[in-house]
Formats: sequence, structure tokens, C-alpha cells
Amino acid sequence: MANTTMTDLANAVIPAPRTEFTDAALDAFSRRLGEDPAGAAWRRAAAAVNRTIGFPDRVRHLWRYTDPADLLPGRALLQATESPERTELPATPAVLLRPGHEPLVNAAAAAVGVTAEALFGEADHAQLVGRAVAADHGYFESLNAAAFDAGVVVRVPRDHVAAAPLRLVIAAVPGRDVLPRVLVAVGAGASVTVVEDHLGGGAGAVVVGVTEILVGANADVHHVLVQRWEDGTVGHLTVRARIERDGRYLGASAGFGGDVAKFDLGAILAGEGARSELVGVTLPDRRQHLDHHTMHRHLSGHTWSNIDFKAAVAGRARSSYTGLLRIEKDAPGSEAYQENRNLLLSEKARADTIPELEILTDDVSCSHGATAAPLDPEQLFYLQSRGIPADESLRLVVRGFVELTLRQVPEGLRADLEALVDARLERLVGER
Amino acid sequence: MSVERIADLNLDYATRYGFHDPEEYLHKAPKGLDHETVEMISRFKNEPDWMRAYRHQALDTFLAKPMPRWGDQSLLHGIDFDDIHYYLKSSEGSANNWDDVPENIKRTFDKLGIPEAEQKFLAGVSAQYESEVVYHSINESLEKLGVIFTDMDSALAKHEDIVKRYWATVIPAEDNKFSALNSAVWSGGSFIYVPKGVKVEIPLQAYFRINAQNMGQFERTLIIADEGASVHYIEGCTAPVYTTNSLHSAVVELVALKGAKIRYTTIQNWSNNVYNLVTKRAHAHEDAVVEWVDGNIGSKLTMKYPAIHLLGERAHGEVLSIAYAGTGQHQDAGAKMIHAAPNTSSRIISKSISKDRGQSTYRGLVKVHKGCHGCRTSVECDALLIGAESRTDTYPTMEIAEDDVRVEHEARVSKLADEQLFYLQSRGIDADQARLMIVNGFIEPFVRELPMEYAVEMNRLIELEMEGSVG
Repeated sequence: MANTTMTDLANAVIPAPRTEFTDAALDAFSRRLGEDPAGAAWRRAAAAVNRTIGFPDRVRHLWRYTDPADLLPGRALLQATESPERTELPATPAVLLRPGHEPLVNAAAAAVGVTAEALFGEADHAQLVGRAVAADHGYFESLNAAAFDAGVVVRVPRDHVAAAPLRLVIAAVPGRDVLPRVLVAVGAGASVTVVEDHLGGGAGAVVVGVTEILVGANADVHHVLVQRWEDGTVGHLTVRARIERDGRYLGASAGFGGDVAKFDLGAILAGEGARSELVGVTLPDRRQHLDHHTMHRHLSGHTWSNIDFKAAVAGRARSSYTGLLRIEKDAPGSEAYQENRNLLLSEKARADTIPELEILTDDVSCSHGATAAPLDPEQLFYLQSRGIPADESLRLVVRGFVELTLRQVPEGLRADLEALVDARLERLVGER
Repeated sequence: MSVERIADLNLDYATRYGFHDPEEYLHKAPKGLDHETVEMISRFKNEPDWMRAYRHQALDTFLAKPMPRWGDQSLLHGIDFDDIHYYLKSSEGSANNWDDVPENIKRTFDKLGIPEAEQKFLAGVSAQYESEVVYHSINESLEKLGVIFTDMDSALAKHEDIVKRYWATVIPAEDNKFSALNSAVWSGGSFIYVPKGVKVEIPLQAYFRINAQNMGQFERTLIIADEGASVHYIEGCTAPVYTTNSLHSAVVELVALKGAKIRYTTIQNWSNNVYNLVTKRAHAHEDAVVEWVDGNIGSKLTMKYPAIHLLGERAHGEVLSIAYAGTGQHQDAGAKMIHAAPNTSSRIISKSISKDRGQSTYRGLVKVHKGCHGCRTSVECDALLIGAESRTDTYPTMEIAEDDVRVEHEARVSKLADEQLFYLQSRGIDADQARLMIVNGFIEPFVRELPMEYAVEMNRLIELEMEGSVG
């Protein structure tokens, strides 16, 4: 299995809920979406994996805190035929993913020199898809691979420097399942920033998404994942970058919305000298349950990775974090670091953290750290003694907590994220 | 396979220690495990009905429970439960006097240095040979203080009321498959009761031995420190080399009542064909202190996660452990701290060395329950890698359901540093000696906590293991 990392675990197969993917139904769906025949073949193969892969085993740390049954699509899949709701695209470069239809690309996107087309709109997509997230990555990934209904391939040509960030808008829909699949292929020496914006949703909305990012040799890719679903939404998102020789990747994630959501974020350092940095903030409140997994897998020597993940948890919310650093036998001279900090803002808030290391060779430098602590009363007292009101003090302290992490986000995108953080802080303070 | 693996690391183990005495058994249960075996063990020991019933029930639990789906699956599934003797009794009863201990057993202990140590300052020696304690001596002053220090079988016969009161209150048979197995077929182990306010100044110790092929060792230890009492218990393990797998599955329960202090020190040096699957857990009540000092050097696979349940306010728990894994070994060890009362504190320091193709794993849990405000806990893991094929894993789990707490975890992985080696060699120290010095420095925080003669033994063991280090 491409992503089997906890090699010491039994491969017990937990029976999965039955999903009826007949080959005929997959073929028909693929035709309806106007895919190349390679699309139907890929879907069939993925459906075969889905039938045998089994449901996530909760003995695994990856699923210790979230019940996979909570994240299952609620309706029959392969049905997306209705015309999509109108969503205004911004004037800046943007692509709108539409279930059952081709992605909508605005003129600004075309102007920055990247292309965006429906996945399996071309036969050669088969050579790109599945390289970072194979169908057998896990149950939800196999489900997405067989039944994705909103696919896009973004390509950045060799040595091209995209002048402005490209925004991918992916809307969840109340009472519906959406299975988006994003593939970003960045040529050698190219440079791009992609913002994946998950919004919308509401009661009964389910999202099962997969994003693959192929970072070519010496390419430079920033990926920003924003999740701001409405209450009532549940979802599972998997993001993997595969980084070739001397490529650089920065993955930033900001998790705000949804009732129950699980994210599997990470990078495979495939080529010598590859570098990857993951930063994340999450601020669950009320009764939200947000579960983040990060993973850095070093396949080649002299690779470098760092993870900085912060959770500020309020209300009766729960943040669960698991993070794995794995250095394979053939990756000498690698360095990997990981830090997870949790700020507990209320008595009923809950934080879980499992930072994991799997090191298979000796010439490495690795460390990880994790902490959990309440708001520091001394900091609050200090601010208040300077005449800053209690609410404002709280806001400042939490902002300070996530600030260093947000600073990793490329200039130009940071303001957006800070605005989202501020909106959430407003809500936190209001509910205290 | 086992033969090669053992030869790999301990080529001269047999000549060095010469542990292999010819088997000489009075009773040897047939291989395999069923209710008949359990009935036989219990009847033979003349146990009260409640214990016999407990064993049978535990056996049902053991048979019903699946093997763990986590951990080193390839090694775990190498255990053949039907190919193990579940009970042996090597000589008649326990001896109170060294002169009464049979000669062949004595010879073995001589090589371990027990009588000598006893002459110095050890209070009581209760050495477990096969499945039952054969030698036991208790310092008179301890008896006068009302301290009970005996083997578990004798304790059940002579102090049934107190044994029954605490039996399986910390680790129920249902806890896991191996605690269920132990509960069904346990034999031997130590029992200590320290009355209120009594402080036992000298460490109490027992040596465990395995000396028969295909024989499991299922000792059961229960230590109770009553209010304000304190005791330090030392469990040392060493075993002869064998060519087929042995299973060691102990259950150790500690109860530290209000204000009591228990320190439990283990140096585990099983031969490298032994499965060491042990459940160790302590209850620390109000203001109590429990410390596990845990060294794992031998065995093929060790799975051991000493736990402390902090049940009373201001209770404190510490685990200090080191693990050494050479080729063919997997040391899967860790610690668990369960904060179930306010203002409790805990600290875990874990160090591991993986050499050549050895694998070490830290697996731990820190849990803070709702309402347990004012808790403090820190976890520190340090892994040293020697050799490109060595492996280390760290799986710490932290679950925090209370805001007013401080939880800290840190882990580092590094290889034996070339600069340190170079520095030492430039001072005229040869490479092997330099490596040993670095490793000794690495484990020093652990060794420092051991009584002197154990510290010496520990250093000697590491020296043996480090011999012929890869260059």
C-alpha cells in the first residue's frame, strides 16, 4: 500500500459499508462527464480497491479520535447531474469546481499562464493521477478515486513563474455529497501559489476530497488550504505533495468550519534535496470536532522537513492532531522537525496530540515537541493592567499564539487568513 | 532463525555465564493451555476456591480476546501458545535459609552474585527459579516492623485476606490478552505489604530466572504501601540462552496509599529468544509517589508500558526507562500516566539505543481527565541510533480534557555523533572505548538512579552489548 507507514500494525480488514459501484455505472458516469476512456479505467480500478480495502481500523492512531462512519457520504454516489449553483468567481485568478460539470475557469486564471481542465479531459492525465495519493491510500481515498464528481487538473509549465496566486473554489452543498479531486502538476523549475478554498455547505453536506500536488525538480509550490464550511458540514480531505529533486513545498492549512472534519495533510520527499514545510492553525469552538493528521515521508537523502501545527480550542470543541515523521532507510542525511502546540481556552475544550516518529536509518536529525496549556493568566493580567479590555486581551493573546505560524503563509494571502482568524476570535469572544 | 539471532549478539553468553543447568523438575505441566491445566495448577497449589474460579474465568477471557492488532505483528504472531509449559515446580517448597537451597540452583545464583550482595546490605532475597520461589529470607528487622515480604503463593496461603482485598484491583484479567493469560496461570512472584508509616530503608529484591526450554514464566507481583509507608523493590531478570522461544508474561500491581512511596526498579536481561510481554500498573492515592525505574536490555520482543494512575490529589508519578535493542531485538516500551485527580504531576524520561539491526519503540500515553485542574506532566524521549540499519519509533499519545494543565512532550533522535567520537579519539582513546563512553554518558541519568551494585551490573551489561560495535 502506498501510504502504509505504521508497518507494525496488523492489516486486519474491517468490513466497510457496501458501495455499489458496478463497472457499467462507473462507465456511464465517466461518459456523462465527457472523460477520456482512461477515466473509466481508473475509476474501475479504484472501485476494485474500494471493495477490498476495508474500513479504517480505529486501532490505528490515525483514526483513534474520529469515527470514520461520521464522514461517509449519505446518498447514492455517481448521481451528480444537476446544474451547479451559481457562485460568483472573484476577479483574481480562480477556478470553480462544479460537480458533474467541467470546472469554470475565469479569464484572470488563463492570464497567469496556468491551465485548468477537467480531470480525464485528456488521456495523458492517467500518467499524473494517483502519484501522490494512490487509490489504495485509504478507504476515503479509494471512494474518491472511483466516484469523484468534480475533478480538475492544474498545470504549470516548466520554468514558468505564475505571477499571481490561483484560487480553487470548492463549494459544499447542503444535503448533498461532493467528491472533489484536485491535481496540481508543477513542471521543473516552475513556481506557483495555489489556494484551495473549501466553503459553503450546511446541514447534510458531505465532502470527500483528494488533492495531489506534483512538485517538479527545483520547483517552488505554495499550497494554502482554507476550510470554512458552514455548520452542519462534515468532510474528509486528503492532501499530498510529491516533491522531486531539490523541489520546495510549503503547505499551509487553516481549519475553521464544519461539525466533524478530518484532514490528512502531508508531503512525500521523493527526490534528493527536497524540502517541505507544513504549517497549520485550527480554531474549533462550540461542539466542533476537527481532526488533523500531518505526514512527512522522507524517501531520499538530504531532504528537510518541518511542521508547525497550532490548535486553539474553545467551547466544547475538540482538536485531535496526529503527526508522523517517517525517514526511510534510503534517506540518510535527512532532517525532520515537528511541533504541535495546543491552547485550551475553556474548561470543556479538549485536545489530543500524537506526534510520531519512525526512523529507519541512523544518519538523521529529528525531533518533535508537543504542548498543551491554558491561556496564560499573567499575559491577560498584564494586558488588562495596561488598560486593554478583557475581550481584547483574549483576542490579542490568541492572535499572538497563531501569529508565528501565519507568518509562514506567503505575503498577499496572509491578510485573508488573518481576517478569518479574527472573525473566529470575534465569535469566541462573543460566546465567552 | 533464533539460533542465528542469538549467536549474533551473545556468542559467548553460555561460557560467560554458564547458566544452563540440567532440568530437574518435580512437576511439569504438559504443553498447551486449557481448563484442565488451570485446574491442575490451582489444585496442586491448594488454592482457595475464589482463586481457582478467578483463574478459570481469566482463561476464558484469554481465549476470547484476540491478539493485539498493534505492536510488532510479525514477532507477536511467532508465539505458539500451545508450545509452552504453563507450570513447573523445580524443587520442593521455599527455603528460608541459604543452606537449604539446592546446590544446582545455588550455583546459578552464585554466578549472579546474589549471596554476596545479600551479605552486604540487601534485606531479603527471594529468587525465582522456574515458576516458584525457592529461596526466601527476610531480614528480621523487617518482620519486626510488620513488613510482609514473601512469594505470592505463600502470601495467598498465609495472608489470604489482604491478598484477596487487593488482588487484581489494579490490573483486572480483562485488561489485555496477556494479563488474562497471567491471571489464569500465574505462579510465583513477590508479595510485599508495608504497614502504615513504615519506611523500609533498604531495597528489597528478587531475581527471576527461566531455565527450561519452551517454558513460560507468569509471575505475579503485588506491592502495597500503606499510608505514609515507603519501599523500594528491585526486580532483576536474567536468563540462559535457549534455542526455542520462551514467553514471559508477568503482572505487577502496585498500590501506594495516601502519602506512601513506592519505587520499583527493573533490569530486564532476558536471553534474546524471550517474549517479554508484561503488564505493570500502579495506583497512586493522595500525596503518594510512585516511580518505575525500568531497564530493558534483553529479550527478542519486549512490550511493556509501566503505568501510573494518579488517583488522589497531589499524587506524583515518574517513569525513568532505558532500552537497548541489538540485532534481532525489538524493545517496544513506554509509559502511561493517567491523571485522574487535580494537582497531580508526572514525568517520563525514556532513553533508547538501537544498534545494528535493532529496533526500539517508545509508546506512551498521557491522559488528563476532565476536572483534573492544576496537573503538570512532561515527557522526554531520547533515541540514539548506532548503525544505518537501526530503527527507532516514537508513538506518544496525549489526551487532554481539561484546560488548566501543563503538558509537555519532547523527543529527539540522533546518531552517535562523529564529532564526539573524533574528539575522544583525538585524545588517544580507541574507537570502541570512545563509543562506550558516549553510550555510558547517554544512559547515565538512568544508571544514577540505581543502587550501586546494580549500576555496576548495568554498566557491565552495556559494555558486553557494545563489544564489537560497528565501525
